[in-house]
Amino acid sequence: MATSVGAPRHAGPAARGMVRSLLLTLPIVLWSLVMFFHPGTSTEWQSRAAATVTAVFMTVLFFMMMRTGTTYRWRRWFFVALGLLFPVGFIHGLLVARGSMGIPVEEMIAGRTPFCFMPIPTLILPAAFTRTIAFPGSIAGTNHGIAVMAGLWLAVTLVIGKGWCSYACFFGGIEEGVAAIPKRAEIRKIDSRWRYGPWAVLLAMVLLSFALFEPAYCIWLCPFKTVTEYVAARNAVGLVQNAIFILLFVGLVIVLPYLTKKRTQCSFFCPFGAFQSIFNKTSIFEIRIDRTRCKSCVVCQNACPNLSLSKESIARGETLMSCMKCGACVDACTNHAAVWHIKGTDVAVKPERARLMFLYAAWAMAVMFGGSIIAQGVATILHFVG
Amino acid sequence: MKLRSALGYTAAGATVLAAVLVPFLLMGMFSKGVVALGLHVDEMYSGGPALRVIQEGAYTITIHRTVYPHMLQNEKPFVQMDWGPVSALPARVSDVVDIDGDGRPDVRVSFGVPSDAKAPLHVDVEALSGRYEAMQNAGKEKNSRLIVHVDNSILVRVPLRNP
Repeated sequence: MATSVGAPRHAGPAARGMVRSLLLTLPIVLWSLVMFFHPGTSTEWQSRAAATVTAVFMTVLFFMMMRTGTTYRWRRWFFVALGLLFPVGFIHGLLVARGSMGIPVEEMIAGRTPFCFMPIPTLILPAAFTRTIAFPGSIAGTNHGIAVMAGLWLAVTLVIGKGWCSYACFFGGIEEGVAAIPKRAEIRKIDSRWRYGPWAVLLAMVLLSFALFEPAYCIWLCPFKTVTEYVAARNAVGLVQNAIFILLFVGLVIVLPYLTKKRTQCSFFCPFGAFQSIFNKTSIFEIRIDRTRCKSCVVCQNACPNLSLSKESIARGETLMSCMKCGACVDACTNHAAVWHIKGTDVAVKPERARLMFLYAAWAMAVMFGGSIIAQGVATILHFVG
Repeated sequence: MKLRSALGYTAAGATVLAAVLVPFLLMGMFSKGVVALGLHVDEMYSGGPALRVIQEGAYTITIHRTVYPHMLQNEKPFVQMDWGPVSALPARVSDVVDIDGDGRPDVRVSFGVPSDAKAPLHVDVEALSGRYEAMQNAGKEKNSRLIVHVDNSILVRVPLRNP
């Protein structure tokens, strides 16, 4: 919290020279080579070409982060690509495996429902009290198995905490892409109470999932069922479920992000995001506001895509716990008061060092997880084009 | 203050190191940890563990343990029976099954076996004891009351009348 008096202060994000930027990018080049071209990867030309394109894409974005000293807009390119290409590869996989995006009851009974990270918080109570996973998947299965996704989530969360929502989530990119389209927000005043929306949905889904012993969020509320897989509508209930998915997707992922220029599904609704906020407390990296530089202009608050800054939090020199470390506030602050920070160190003394350390960790995760999904999506497109 | 800074940078360095270890060590370690918790998928989906197998000529009937719903789950207790392999089944199956193994018949299960694996299935269940519910032309109404084709078996779930 304290800012040491007399310490050399940060002068703001500065562009780096070409050579220095290249040197700083070198570890990511090596990491990308290991992640995309390790032994055992597919030798089909589509997969090779997709891996090459993705490796270059991820490396160039990191290079630009180093060169320009800014984070948000380069990360956004990755995140939007992830959000758009995940459904491409995933839906193609479903169509090949079962010929439909709908989950038939046979697949549920066989334990072949793909498991994503979204229902993780709602499965904890049933697992803790009855040692039962209330999800029709398989625990040890290698393809979308519950243990594989849970292990991946635990490992990535250990490294970047709530940064998951900016560097690993394969859903948020769609709304972030839509929010980037308009030049100005049509709706600029958003009631701060909407921030509690994800917590309310989380509480309701955790209790409902425990009471009904089913992944209630997946069955009733997940907007992204619209672009992944959905409950095969066998009856009126199924039709209602699918209508809810589509309405939530159109409202929260398309219309509201366009009108507000915010990630509204994440800000108002996502229970996983609320759950993941808890891990901001365990993460060593954070974003802080240097009160000695802050002019209370709230540019950072307006720039935040996730309502993670308020006047009160700015006055305290910190973000809210929902901050997903996208870097929008840091890049937007003209006074260089919003800074990357390592807990325990002095605020704003060496923020670029904090940014670099965080970005190496976060981008390593982005290349490993998101990069593989992007490559799969590109390979699918090449498969159809070629 | 210097100690706190040193600890902060040490933790940040350890985090970067952890990031490098994620695909090679941590992810697999955590996944194995989740498996080692000994959790199992809800039997309302999986059908419960198999208890015994009845040989019926060229095919078998596998009887599963009775599955009871949790909490407010909107299902009845049921018993799952698997007929397989499908290739060995006659065009119409009509078997009397002693589910609980007490030597007395509990249900008569009848269903057609279409040659197309994706064709819809329907089952009639005649209750021969008071323990099980009768079913007429049942398809895939609920988890506790259905007939489905899964891999190389046809699964029938019969709800209990008096749990």
